[in-house]
Amino acid sequence: MTLPAGVYAQTYDQDQALIRSKPQWLWFVGLMIFLFALPLFGGGRALGSMNVMWITLIAVVGLQINVGYAGQVNLGQSAFMGVGAYAAGALTFHFDLPIWITIPAAGISAAVFGSMFGLAAVRIKGFYLALTTIAAQYIFGFAMLKLPKAWFGQIEGLRLDPVSLFGFEFDTDVRIYYLFAAIAVLMIYGAWGIVRSRIGRALVAVRDNDNAADIIGINVFYYKALSFFIGAFYAGVAGALWGYYIRYVLSDQFTLWLSVWYLGMLIVGGMGSIQGAIIGTVVIRLLQEFITYFAPWIITIEMFSGIGGEIIFASMNMLLGGIIILFIIFEPRGLVHRWNIIKESYRIWPFPH
Amino acid sequence: MISLLSHIISGALTGLLFALIAMGFVIIYRSGRVFNFAQGEVVVVGAFLIWSFAQYLGLPLWLSVVLAFAVSAILGLLVEKLILRPLVGEELFALVMVTIGLLVFLRGAVLVVWGADIYFIPAIFPMAGIKVGPLMLDRGLVYGGGLTILIAVLFSWFFNHTRMGLEMTAVAEDHQIALSLGLKVKRSIAASWAISGVLCTLAAIIFVGGKGMTFMVGDIGLAALPVALLAGLESVGGLILAGLLIGISMGLAEHFLDPVFQGGVGAVFPFVIMIIVLLIRPSGLFGWKTIERI
Repeated sequence: MTLPAGVYAQTYDQDQALIRSKPQWLWFVGLMIFLFALPLFGGGRALGSMNVMWITLIAVVGLQINVGYAGQVNLGQSAFMGVGAYAAGALTFHFDLPIWITIPAAGISAAVFGSMFGLAAVRIKGFYLALTTIAAQYIFGFAMLKLPKAWFGQIEGLRLDPVSLFGFEFDTDVRIYYLFAAIAVLMIYGAWGIVRSRIGRALVAVRDNDNAADIIGINVFYYKALSFFIGAFYAGVAGALWGYYIRYVLSDQFTLWLSVWYLGMLIVGGMGSIQGAIIGTVVIRLLQEFITYFAPWIITIEMFSGIGGEIIFASMNMLLGGIIILFIIFEPRGLVHRWNIIKESYRIWPFPH
Repeated sequence: MISLLSHIISGALTGLLFALIAMGFVIIYRSGRVFNFAQGEVVVVGAFLIWSFAQYLGLPLWLSVVLAFAVSAILGLLVEKLILRPLVGEELFALVMVTIGLLVFLRGAVLVVWGADIYFIPAIFPMAGIKVGPLMLDRGLVYGGGLTILIAVLFSWFFNHTRMGLEMTAVAEDHQIALSLGLKVKRSIAASWAISGVLCTLAAIIFVGGKGMTFMVGDIGLAALPVALLAGLESVGGLILAGLLIGISMGLAEHFLDPVFQGGVGAVFPFVIMIIVLLIRPSGLFGWKTIERI
């Protein structure tokens, strides 16, 4: 990645900084102000979808570390999210613990569940691994409906009251927005730290060739399990937020299709890049909202009238499936690659390269 | 005692049905090195095709079945030509994801074309159950089980003794080496997709013939995964053993564990077996062991 002319590092700190030039600071501050001001202008519907967007962002960024950086195919992200939601829900429901304990605890419990499947990743490679993570989905669904009713409520799920932090109640969409935004920004910042650190480099080495990584002294066992631990931790936090937002936790909310959507977001955005995860999430979520918004109008068209309410599910699936296939065939590096090309040519303009 | 026996037998028959669907996975994997997650959706398409030809167009049943076989074979060829061909030589992740994308796409397409209603697929096998002593067996499943064993034996022979089958096995071993030896890699891969499409329609006939079905039947594709993995993804003959193993243990689990958990064990148990087997033998019972070099 070339930097704009005149930007060079004189100390290691400068070299490592995420934000390196004045325009970048400008954009960053502008973005933060925009995100802070959004609830003041957005309506109820926009705010609701923004809150879901924050949750999705956390889950997909975690998946990016797991899949995009460490190269471990994971189709169980939604199950891991469910574990987090149940953990946070049960801790709040039974013990009334504050959220600064329950949300990290949800992350940890999802991470422990996830690394059990990460241990399988040590022996199992490639798509076999995808299959064991599908098993995670089935085992999660079964366990949550069969564990004692006093724990997770079985088929009735867990109903939660609005959570509060230091006496401040998160009972409206606006209040929840700021909570979620703060947590999501923190998690994404953390993800940037992880992938630029020794851990991130080791994960990339394992992804590119795990035998070679083993030989140069990287503990492949440890890093594969760790990638699942990190990815599932993000999922767990996202799940906890989901539970607090919907205020109802049931295993049916966390389907295999959700995991597939998350992987679709990664593919559209671009693998192996945190920006990619963010771009993919935003683009696909907006598309989803668009379809939900226009679906009632589509139903009125004569040709599709037989499908009724199923049109939303059907057209979303066709759209997602089509997008995944087209991106893999025509732009496997995702939208972030296009973005980087545009940024690059803007920076070196008027020179061609 | 009778309940135990009927659980075991119906489990074994279901296991054989899974083995038939898993055969679709294995045949594609053997030639293209692609694992087709969309297999279950092809089963749904096959079933709906039979319905459309027989009920909607009013064709005779035998003709609709033949047409359904033909169309599902063409569907397989199309998928291979349009989606998998451009991805030759891409990394594994792309291949896994593209078939998952196909799974999602087909599910949506099936909903748009046929909707979410219940369809009654005409019975191809006679409907009446078979009575063996005190047990009633589903006739479709019994015939299907026999057919599955027959087909597995046939394909086992095909892959090990005919020129075409041996070519496909060589292609499975390594695309580049097969190409350099003058084998028709593309033809082998295309043939495997067509065969797999036909097998899916056959599975649809056995599974939903004479019953009502919705698009949710596609989930059977995922349910058949453990059988394919237990057999090892490269062995057609091994599928029968794996199917029986999974099916019978599923039946036993239903018999002994369902009272403890209030039902639902049958759907999860194959996956538990699968994980344990993969941890002990990552290449399944009969899969090829590969040595990785840097």
